Amino acid sequence: MSPSLPVRISVNGRWREGVVEPRRTLADFLREDLGLKGAHLACEHGFCGNCNVLFDGHNVRSCLMLAVQANGHAVETVEGLARDDGELDDLQRAFTEHAAIQCGFCTPAMLLTAKEFLREHPGETDEVAIRRAISGVTCRCTGYQQIVEAIRSVAAATSERAAEQA
Amino acid sequence: MKPPPFEYHAPESIEEALSLLAGVDGARVLAGGQSLLQLMKFRRAKPSTLVDINGVGELDAIEQRDGELRIGALVRQQRLLEDELVARSWQLLREATRFVGYAETRRRGTVGGSLAFAAPWAELCAATVALDATIDVRSANHGSRSIPARSFFRGPYETALEAGELITGVRFPARSRRSGASFHEVSARYRDYAQAAAAAVVDLDDAGECASAAVVLVGVARTPWLVDVTAMVPSLDGIGDGFEPEDDVEASAEYRRRVAPVLARRAVQEAFERARAA
Repeated sequence: MSPSLPVRISVNGRWREGVVEPRRTLADFLREDLGLKGAHLACEHGFCGNCNVLFDGHNVRSCLMLAVQANGHAVETVEGLARDDGELDDLQRAFTEHAAIQCGFCTPAMLLTAKEFLREHPGETDEVAIRRAISGVTCRCTGYQQIVEAIRSVAAATSERAAEQA
Repeated sequence: MKPPPFEYHAPESIEEALSLLAGVDGARVLAGGQSLLQLMKFRRAKPSTLVDINGVGELDAIEQRDGELRIGALVRQQRLLEDELVARSWQLLREATRFVGYAETRRRGTVGGSLAFAAPWAELCAATVALDATIDVRSANHGSRSIPARSFFRGPYETALEAGELITGVRFPARSRRSGASFHEVSARYRDYAQAAAAAVVDLDDAGECASAAVVLVGVARTPWLVDVTAMVPSLDGIGDGFEPEDDVEASAEYRRRVAPVLARRAVQEAFERARAA
């Protein structure tokens, strides 16, 4: 048995500490040690994408990373999306308005994946581009259409605001 | 916890990594982890020790030197899609990488890891063979050596790497100005494992005629299958000679035998068009 190692990881803007076995995945650290259940585990082998979290600003599979590998890095989970006063993020609101949540299992990963996509391509309303962006996350309810529409509505609002300011 | 227990080391230099790899039986390199951690969770891999090279910054560079493109082993696959040098002169790498997993796995997955894992469907392995790249490896006991990509892949998940060796990088020779490349792939689902794929590179002479053309096929043999098609263009008649595809969960051998020549023709034709437009 390998000795446990101390880790210090910034999670949703707050430094969190723990002591973990090297084989503990980042997903298990978030879910079991920190109680943040937003990273959902389904396949646990990198295929389904439901465990996506933002690692230094980019989505990664938290089931295919060790917690020790996140030492000193910044992780953002779905729990960090809403404001501290409970006000929902634009994407969260759009998902509820477009009924883009059926069983809810893929929702955290879809939100985080869309978050990165819109940050890198603000105002991108092309449906194909959106579908490609979320292609790494599986929704077993197959509610993709509503999810695409929700993401598109946030992009459209961004591009309208940009047009008004121009 | 699904992976079996292991000793964990996170060296910060190549030398430190090599001495760890040489000193421990059953030690394996952990790079992006997108395949190794998966295998460990299935308990099909049970390394006694993981040598995590993610902190070895000197392995994480892309540079052009003496005309060659040098890519460090730790360079993330996603970076091949974003790097301007790659986009300008080694388009095949960019084209092939589009088919490698998803952005989330490409953010962690590395170039060196893809080559060392040598999955039979791996696009980057095919691209290194097509571009006649050279793979640089090092070990504590035997120093450095360079292995041509064309003799590196020995079988599915089998390479010329020996115990204790670490891939440090891969070098791609300069492409001629009048060259073109293209990568085509089919998979059952968007960006899933390749059922078959074709990587084509074409060089033109001063008159704009074909000087050389080569295609590397994925899914028709146990390793990336290189064919010099210079004498076969444009029909590529006979390209299927020697194919030995296998049945698996992704596709039947029969389908692969039929689709691979189609992909080869498309890739070669597109590579030609790009070379002529260059």
